[in-house]
Amino acid sequence: MSDMMVYRGNPFNEIEELGDGMFRLHMGPQHPISGQGRFIILTDGERVFDIEVDIGYSHRGTEKLLEHRTFIQGIVPVERMVMIDTANILMGYIGAVERILGVEPPPRANYIRTIVMEMNRIISHLYALGLLSESAAWNPAVFLWTTADREPFLDLLEMLTGARWSYSFFVPGGVRADIPRGFKERLLVTLDWFEKRIDVIEEAWIYNELFRMRTEGMGVISRQEAIEWGVAGPNLRASGVAYDTRKNEPYAAYGELDFKMVTHTAGDAYARGWARVEEMRVSVDIIRQAIENMPDGPVRVRVPQRAKPGEALFRVETSRGEMNVYIVSDGKDKPYRVKISPASFRNFLAIEMIPKTQTVLLADAPVLIYSFDPWFLDADR
Amino acid sequence: MVDIVGFVQANLPIFIKILLFPGLLFIFGFVIFAVWYQRKYLARIMLRMGPVHCGKRLGWLQLVADAMKLLTKELIIPRAANKIVFIVVTFLLPVIPAAMIAVIPFAPGYAIYPASGYSLLLFFAISTLFPVVGILRGWAANNKFTIIGAFRMIYLDIAGEIPVFLASTGVMIWAGTYDLQKIVELQRDMWFVFPQILGFIVFFIGFLGMIEKIPFDIPTAESELVYGPNTEYSGAMFLNMMLSDYANVLAWTLLMITLYFGGYNGPAIFPDPIVNGAFWIIVKLLIAISIIFTIMITYARLRIDQAIRMGWSYLLPLSLLNILLTIILKFFLFGGVA
Repeated sequence: MSDMMVYRGNPFNEIEELGDGMFRLHMGPQHPISGQGRFIILTDGERVFDIEVDIGYSHRGTEKLLEHRTFIQGIVPVERMVMIDTANILMGYIGAVERILGVEPPPRANYIRTIVMEMNRIISHLYALGLLSESAAWNPAVFLWTTADREPFLDLLEMLTGARWSYSFFVPGGVRADIPRGFKERLLVTLDWFEKRIDVIEEAWIYNELFRMRTEGMGVISRQEAIEWGVAGPNLRASGVAYDTRKNEPYAAYGELDFKMVTHTAGDAYARGWARVEEMRVSVDIIRQAIENMPDGPVRVRVPQRAKPGEALFRVETSRGEMNVYIVSDGKDKPYRVKISPASFRNFLAIEMIPKTQTVLLADAPVLIYSFDPWFLDADR
Repeated sequence: MVDIVGFVQANLPIFIKILLFPGLLFIFGFVIFAVWYQRKYLARIMLRMGPVHCGKRLGWLQLVADAMKLLTKELIIPRAANKIVFIVVTFLLPVIPAAMIAVIPFAPGYAIYPASGYSLLLFFAISTLFPVVGILRGWAANNKFTIIGAFRMIYLDIAGEIPVFLASTGVMIWAGTYDLQKIVELQRDMWFVFPQILGFIVFFIGFLGMIEKIPFDIPTAESELVYGPNTEYSGAMFLNMMLSDYANVLAWTLLMITLYFGGYNGPAIFPDPIVNGAFWIIVKLLIAISIIFTIMITYARLRIDQAIRMGWSYLLPLSLLNILLTIILKFFLFGGVA
């Protein structure tokens, strides 16, 4: 990180030259690919020598906000960290709160949570794949296809939770409601349809010759580098590291379900895209098992208002990788301190490291960035 | 006093050609149609509706509405830009494709400027101006994105234009003439795409590079360079850029149809040969742009190094091989007859 800072100049000077034909290209915050952040790219026109990720444009102080809210009021600010992946993000917070309150959710609630989280993972991966394709210039064709494919899942989530986005469905001690009548049948029909759609996406896009030309062998992270740089989620597994919090430290109903872990040995941008497609298949499998093996019983238990003094850590596998939520309590109904360590922050570090180890061209930069599925709001908190 | 009315009356056919068909009105009409068609066609593939509000039902007035909006917008010229070049280039750029269209025959003896037997050479001569003016627009704006886009445009045009020219050399040898009119007449029985299939493949890939659409929209690559050399242009100047882009597509597509797909030849539906020729050339044009749009939507963008490697390592040897094959076919197997 230290030598990276040498190049940091005046961030407001757009036409600054560095000599030797080198200049700094500011991709963002107003750029088709930048999102809510900025990539400062040191380039000589085509070759990229350095990418600096400038985060913090959307910092909302989520951790500080949580100190002034009761445990259940904290749900809303936490959810807003990643709108596309709210259930998985919220699970991290809810899991930590349940640990510090010392309650255990009923088994049925765990299964419902698993279903909602996996549907959310499918939605998030579809969005990531759409953005990756758009970064390699698919007009917005694949992006709109994947966006359309999300719709049945959004409808199902609306049926279950009452909202398409940011459901606030998980509460300490369970979930807000049981599954409605007719949900299971509709879900199974949707899953059958979606499995065929994955094949279509794979055929039209993952096997596309030009897409492979753009992504194969580009942005390679070796197994060792992935561990050293702290890459997270599907990006880590695409480098051949078999680490998935759902397997290694099971939460919700994952410990009782049988599913495989998707790994790839290549570690390039193609492997990262491929891993997301395969993870959607695994998610479909998990949802099927969970809906079939769901136990009966209550979906919510009463929880105490105040926590005992102490601390709790909860790991959760969000769509972008492992997120850690650490809560310290001083015995009140509000947390004393909350620390959230999101996955996107660590993935941004890998984006910064890759141009130092291999040749990256300017045209590769958007593909490289979006192969990690970055989310500025996640990293900014 | 100059007798303007008498001058126009004396030269009425050439005025009709320049102003109506295949001149100004045709080019504007094609651009308006092509933009609308591209929006609707791509929208259907993307599972969208495309424009629906302007115009009764199909949104056919959308581009007119967009043009009105752009014309009423403020012209923003960057402070660091070379103002004269920045403005002049926007008016020069659409002229070049229009001049290229002038040599294309639309019916027997119906071209704006037949160029007395050298129309194909004139077409390529004019087309070389496009990247020259193109780099000026990137340089004049004095912006990093535009200058990178302009340089990419030069790389791509050199890597694409040479194979395209050599591939059409195959047609020239096969037909034994530089005259597009004669080339079309020789295709009355058989389109040149069949004897020149290798040359056509080379021509088509290079052609995609010349019109700068996906997979070769490298100069304007949106996800990297915002809008490449056009990034700083706004309002009416942007409209001119868009016009030049689509007129460029029109010119090169017309050349492809003329060289390989029989030009204006087709079954006689209309008694008038000019109407008949125009009808068939427009039908072929629509099929060609549909194919171009389908390619745009189904492929990713190549990287600049991959595109240049394709041009120099594959297209160039193949186009030379095509010339060799054409010579062998024509002079040793068919005894020099086309």
